[in-house]
Amino acid sequence: MAKLPTDIPELVKQFGPTMHSVPPGGWAHTGQDETLVKTHCCFCGQQCGIQLRVRDNKVVGFEPWESFPFNRGKLCPKGVKRYMQDEHPDRLKSPMQRIEGQGFAPIAWDAAMERVVGEIRRIQETYGNDAFGILSGASLTNEKAYLMGKFARVALRTANIDYNGRLCMVSAGAASKKVFGIDRSANPWSDIPKAKVILVAGANIAECAPITTDYLWQARDNGGKLIILDPRMTPIARNADLFIPVRSGGDIGVFNGMLHVMIERGWIDRDFIAQHTTGFNEVIESVKKYTPEYAAKIAGVPAELIVKAAELWGPAPTSFLLHARGIEHHSKGVDNCLAAINLVVASGRIGREGCGYAMITGQGNGQGAREQGQKCDQLPGNRDISNPEHRKYIAGVWGVAEESIPQKGLSAVPLVEAIHEGKIKGLLSICFNPVVSLPDSNFTRAALEKLEFYVNIEFFLSESARYADIVLAGSLMEEDDGTTTNVEGRVIRHRRAVTPPDGAREDWKILNEIASRLGHADKFNYNSPREIFEELRIASKGGVSDYSGMTWDRIGENNGLFWPCPENGHPGTPRLYEGGKFGHPDGKAHFIPIDWHPSAEMPDEEYPIILTTGRVVSHFLSGTQTRRIASLMEQYPQPRCEIHPRLAEKLGIADNDFVKVESRRGQIVVRAQLVKTIRPDTVFVPYHWPLDRSANNCTIRAIDPVSNIPEFKICAVRVSKTEEPTDAIAKLEMEAGGIR
Amino acid sequence: MKKAEFSVRGSDTLHAFAWGSATASVLVIGIVIGSRGLKDFDPALVSYAGASVLAAFGLGYRYAMWLRRPPTRLYWRRGWQVFLQPRRLPANIAHLGRIFLDNFVMQRFIEKRSSLRWTAHWFLAWGCLLAAAITFPLSFGWVRFETARDSQEIYKAFMFGFPVGSFRLGTPIAELTFNILDIAAVMVLIGVFFALWRRSRDHGAMSVQQFANDLLPLIMLFAISITGLFLTASTHLMHGLHYVFLSQLHAITVILTLLYLPFGKFFHIFQRPAQLAIDFYKRAGIEGEQAICVRCAQPYGSKMQMEDLKTLQEMLCIKYQLADGTHYQDVCPACRRKNLALAQDGLWKSLGTDVRGR
Amino acid sequence: MSESAFFIDHSRCIGCQSCVQACAECDTHRGVSMIHLETIQRSDSVQTAPQVCMHCEDPICARVCPADAIKKTPDGVVQSSLKPRCIGCSNCVVSCPFGVPKYSAQIDQMMKCDMCYDRSSIGKKPMCASVCPSGALTYTTMEEIQRTRSGIPINTWRFGEEIVKTKVYVMVPREVERIDVSLVQISGTPSPLAADPYDVALMLEGAQ
Repeated sequence: MAKLPTDIPELVKQFGPTMHSVPPGGWAHTGQDETLVKTHCCFCGQQCGIQLRVRDNKVVGFEPWESFPFNRGKLCPKGVKRYMQDEHPDRLKSPMQRIEGQGFAPIAWDAAMERVVGEIRRIQETYGNDAFGILSGASLTNEKAYLMGKFARVALRTANIDYNGRLCMVSAGAASKKVFGIDRSANPWSDIPKAKVILVAGANIAECAPITTDYLWQARDNGGKLIILDPRMTPIARNADLFIPVRSGGDIGVFNGMLHVMIERGWIDRDFIAQHTTGFNEVIESVKKYTPEYAAKIAGVPAELIVKAAELWGPAPTSFLLHARGIEHHSKGVDNCLAAINLVVASGRIGREGCGYAMITGQGNGQGAREQGQKCDQLPGNRDISNPEHRKYIAGVWGVAEESIPQKGLSAVPLVEAIHEGKIKGLLSICFNPVVSLPDSNFTRAALEKLEFYVNIEFFLSESARYADIVLAGSLMEEDDGTTTNVEGRVIRHRRAVTPPDGAREDWKILNEIASRLGHADKFNYNSPREIFEELRIASKGGVSDYSGMTWDRIGENNGLFWPCPENGHPGTPRLYEGGKFGHPDGKAHFIPIDWHPSAEMPDEEYPIILTTGRVVSHFLSGTQTRRIASLMEQYPQPRCEIHPRLAEKLGIADNDFVKVESRRGQIVVRAQLVKTIRPDTVFVPYHWPLDRSANNCTIRAIDPVSNIPEFKICAVRVSKTEEPTDAIAKLEMEAGGIR
Repeated sequence: MKKAEFSVRGSDTLHAFAWGSATASVLVIGIVIGSRGLKDFDPALVSYAGASVLAAFGLGYRYAMWLRRPPTRLYWRRGWQVFLQPRRLPANIAHLGRIFLDNFVMQRFIEKRSSLRWTAHWFLAWGCLLAAAITFPLSFGWVRFETARDSQEIYKAFMFGFPVGSFRLGTPIAELTFNILDIAAVMVLIGVFFALWRRSRDHGAMSVQQFANDLLPLIMLFAISITGLFLTASTHLMHGLHYVFLSQLHAITVILTLLYLPFGKFFHIFQRPAQLAIDFYKRAGIEGEQAICVRCAQPYGSKMQMEDLKTLQEMLCIKYQLADGTHYQDVCPACRRKNLALAQDGLWKSLGTDVRGR
Repeated sequence: MSESAFFIDHSRCIGCQSCVQACAECDTHRGVSMIHLETIQRSDSVQTAPQVCMHCEDPICARVCPADAIKKTPDGVVQSSLKPRCIGCSNCVVSCPFGVPKYSAQIDQMMKCDMCYDRSSIGKKPMCASVCPSGALTYTTMEEIQRTRSGIPINTWRFGEEIVKTKVYVMVPREVERIDVSLVQISGTPSPLAADPYDVALMLEGAQ
């Protein structure tokens, strides 16, 4: 609803972000009367096991959980300091309502609910059901993700629900589904150290999936070779056997070039291809022109690097492919993944020990949250919302008429565009901070300003929640029970460590209540997240991501269960595609020929430099949690623009200068950091900060036609030296978007 | 031969023995003179005085041994040199007053470690000092009290035989004087309580504490204080019940503590003033020329200290000279750390990428 | 199962600072981090250097301490300076060959990594080695490290003529018996490497 209720410095003063640096009881208080709760980190798709130290219903510290097999006690800095988000002074402890000219003021739960339900009714009655949209999150538990999908289709009957996994896993998921018929990492992580060659494409593992590092180094100690594709020399790349500093968006050049060499030299598994795949002849045709020289031009690297990569990958006895946002965040993200996966299938090295492939999920429940039916085109169990059979089954589970379930709705970016166009008038969001995380932030802000009603469920007042009419105080991960599904496809138990503070409520209770007040009490009468899971596993039965054989107890006892787990007592499926049996009805893997085409916006005379964005190790996603933790902020307090000294010299920029990075859509001012570890045609800015420090001011609102993922990894910018900004935003603390 | 500098040589022992004897002798002479040829000496307290003489021997011995360590000797000399520089002396004396107040009276540096630790230490320290200020002069015969000839109500105090004041029984000053040891004992008990509380709850402290070093001293202080308080209780509340036994018990606790003084944790009381000397040394270092790291060309400390360290390292047979003529002492700590990683990483890299895994 | 030991493989380090963050969670110095993590030279490389106390057999820090304040436990762990004794002179800080001790002006005392004595003395892993995602810092048995790593652990160092043996091990290629720091060029990168091994622009020119 219109502009912000008051100016940003005032909102920051009231609700932060401010930093929290001391645990409850102070640093001096150690180890008395505490209990340890075995649960998982709330940050990132690795979902490391961690034990939270709890005293007096407060999380006061952590203890490594060494017997959890995935991370064996290991944690990244976010995991170590995650406990600092509890007892945070910024924590919302009451529903808030927007007060024009002042900001937000507490409101009673009953009044808040009344208002929310009234506005939902009004908007849907006036403009139609689909005029009320939902933006959900991929860091929610499976139970909540399931509930969100059901809430949209049953309580609101809106087609327009999507989630921020749209900014994360959808390219990988779509590609995996196309080739293998299943959207999941094919192997457990324990296969990585057994691979003799590992190809990591577009994954800054050291910073974005730090726990995977040890798996890579184990492989190296076992004699495995490591190939890294990245426009920046990341910490992993420094020790790789082959680092290919590929131009952002040029990955297909490397993949197709490698395949070209492999075919030429006979490094493909013809038997496997004949028995277990379709479509390889078309692929042979498509890569014919990708000679190393041609491929090198696309990739922007010397041809010999591509040949070397093929020489390492081609004849290896075992191999593993890992890819992440670096190749997925493109308007051809699915194509990039498909070209990479073709290397796996052509080698026949999948579905056995030490052989396979995985996508590195980014968000807290990046895997699970995309299976439970909160995507615009999907129903629980990874079912297709336009498939009549699938609709019928879910309608049965929900006890609704099949035709009452809406059809496919808009994905995240088009959904925000529909808001901007005035087609969607009302919005409910949870676990999503679109003004920081979506591309083209100015557009996103303008869209939110056009909403007639916006309700946001949050634990901190995020930058997006500032635009809300009502903010409902929800719960943190450690304040509720549930499950998530980690990067491997392992379903794991999150155990409640503390209860939400007085005045805040568990997210599922909030949704229950809204649904009940909308007249659907019979469909939303859960008494616990466990009951939601019980329904979820029935809903997933027979689907691709089949959880039906799992129970919370079994998940807990086994340190997680891998889906599919189709019947009671089933041990789960750590490794997919064993014996060359793939997920398609024909049981085969489907090759898809890929040809390279340019990105949506290529550098030109006006905007001659490539901007690529990404993460740093001490922050998570839009930063609304990690920018509030002092020690994580100290580690990386403000975004910096990484720029090669050669480019900097051309532009007259020295280290630590203030620089303006501007695209056709917006600009930011940040400090320059001169590093030789980046391509001279590319600059990098991490995206965890808001406002004038938000890299997404510059990024382009172009999306992949299949997955609808935005093109975060390449847009055209110009960079220039500038003066130190002195406006009110610049003066804010760095966690709030200021600059120093 | 690297251990040589720590092995106790015969001459060291002899040297320290001489210092111990000298210290003890000075105390004996002090007692004799201060008590006006033992005229004021209270024979009932002879065991305390005797234990004090033994403690003085131990302290002298231990202090001399301590100063025989090359680093200690170097900084002892350096501290005095820096302090006594004529140019600096007035400012140094003024500064001494300030850090005496901060570090000794208020013990602020302990407060910054933790307020609980500070509370415990402050009560312990000042309880002990208060008690020592009374009991040592009394047992040495330096101070005595007697009633005035003309009135049983008036007490007179003498120090070294000279009258230093008088007070009437029943006045606050009299109550204070007669109960000052009880006050000291209560202060010590408060300190012991806080210290034990901390040592029984703080995981960190619990993991590194040792019985002989950290708990025994507290037990000793507790024993002295509690037996002292029993004496008062016996006198005033229980008509002298078990007084003799209690006073012997008290004497034993005190004497044992006195004998422990030079060798256990309490030695820090005598060693600690070195902190003040180092303070002057550091101030001189900051004002003087800075050492520049040969690797990163950044200043990393005082040149004087680095040069002193090179001297010291030579005495200790630490051989930091590098083959290329440079000296490892001229590399700053941060560059040392970087160097190690570069050396280790370089070993892997220089042998080629296929060195791993076979 | 034999006793666990501490192993460092600097080359595995990814500079994530988990160790730094976790170190401050150790009860013997909670709120203050003791471990060092150096970025060698960010403009040239992403290489980083973690450094815990190596726990020397004959610690130079203790030898140069005028207050005799640095002590080793019977199990060979060199502790932070004894609080009653340390006089804050920093001799240890500038003498340690590994650059480990830290002087805190606020409390006028030297503190250092004590291998998380509250944990390691009761069989738990030190915080940094528990959390380290890269395995650059590892606390495990000798058998396990020999089974899982391609290199070998060594604990002998040479600084000039000074030979130092440590309780903590460092992983090196099999040919190596000792690390001679005197062989490393004090300024710049080690000689076997190209002048700018991590310059992406040079790689793109094929100048590797």
